[in-house]
Amino acid sequence: MQEPSSVDTKLKEWLEYFREAKEVRRRYANWEFIRSQPPKVRVALEYYVETGDLYNAAKLAGMTMEEFNELRIKAGIPSIG
Amino acid sequence: MADAIADTSFIVDWVRYSKSELLFKVFNVVYMPESVLAEVESERSLIWISKGLERGVLAVLPELPDISREALNLVAKSRRLPVRPVDYPEAFCMVVGKRLNLVVLTENGGAVALRDYDPEYSGVEVWRGIDVLYALWRSGHINSFKDELKLYQQETKRTYSRRDLAKYGGAHGGQ
Amino acid sequence: MEVNEDKLKEWIERFREAKEVRRRYANWEFIRSQPPKVRVALEYYVETGDFRTAAKMADMAVDEFVNMAKDQANIPSTD
Repeated sequence: MQEPSSVDTKLKEWLEYFREAKEVRRRYANWEFIRSQPPKVRVALEYYVETGDLYNAAKLAGMTMEEFNELRIKAGIPSIG
Repeated sequence: MADAIADTSFIVDWVRYSKSELLFKVFNVVYMPESVLAEVESERSLIWISKGLERGVLAVLPELPDISREALNLVAKSRRLPVRPVDYPEAFCMVVGKRLNLVVLTENGGAVALRDYDPEYSGVEVWRGIDVLYALWRSGHINSFKDELKLYQQETKRTYSRRDLAKYGGAHGGQ
Repeated sequence: MEVNEDKLKEWIERFREAKEVRRRYANWEFIRSQPPKVRVALEYYVETGDFRTAAKMADMAVDEFVNMAKDQANIPSTD
């Protein structure tokens, strides 16, 4: 059986890291705040919780990254991963 | 599989189609210009886009100065003709399609027409929903092109003309 | 500017036919019952197919306007 390469191992480690980061974001997010937002902002915040992708989340919300970053702080979502 | 770039007119229709996920059987990645996100506010469209971004099958293409310049020239050029002009977001997609060899997904008649009458853009592949459905049928992802086209038109309230249907052998094409 | 004249003529005819389709299917009762901003936007959209400008006229997002035009005003999207 072929030994897993160091690339495979690293990849697995990163996947696990991102999975854990998503769990942290989900756990700390203020879902009441998120659900109370207008659709565009709500979808963007939900996207951010799932992915941690500030760039595209800001684009979804129609905001600058800085503005969206302020918003995710208000929503209690930690920046992780 | 190729990559594509989609404008608002395509996305607004396509997200209404109950089998919209089939798009990613035809294309690896579908890009959307930033301007598309600025034009979309309905929950249905936004959720579809955000799920696609999450999965990595959609990506946002930022404004690129060089492409923007050519797109603006294209808008001006198309306005000098007695036919539906091309708006900036469609022009952006056409330029990207030309420069980066992406299939342009649009339902905007002005963009589809441009490819036909302007030799500079005749090499750009422009697909509408009907063309995506045809590709899906050819690759075996849908059983009947005719039935699926009927369903698509019903769900999206997009009407294809006799000429569009004639391209695929009329209403009976691609059984 | 070099263009394919025959193709251009064909497209002019296509857009004219598309306008006829929009006019024929539109729910004029619904359109006439709308507040001025939306009514004028829908009428403009029927005549031109220019959803982007129509959406701006109605002060709506593009997708919201197009969906309203399809679902409530019965105006199909066409060329």
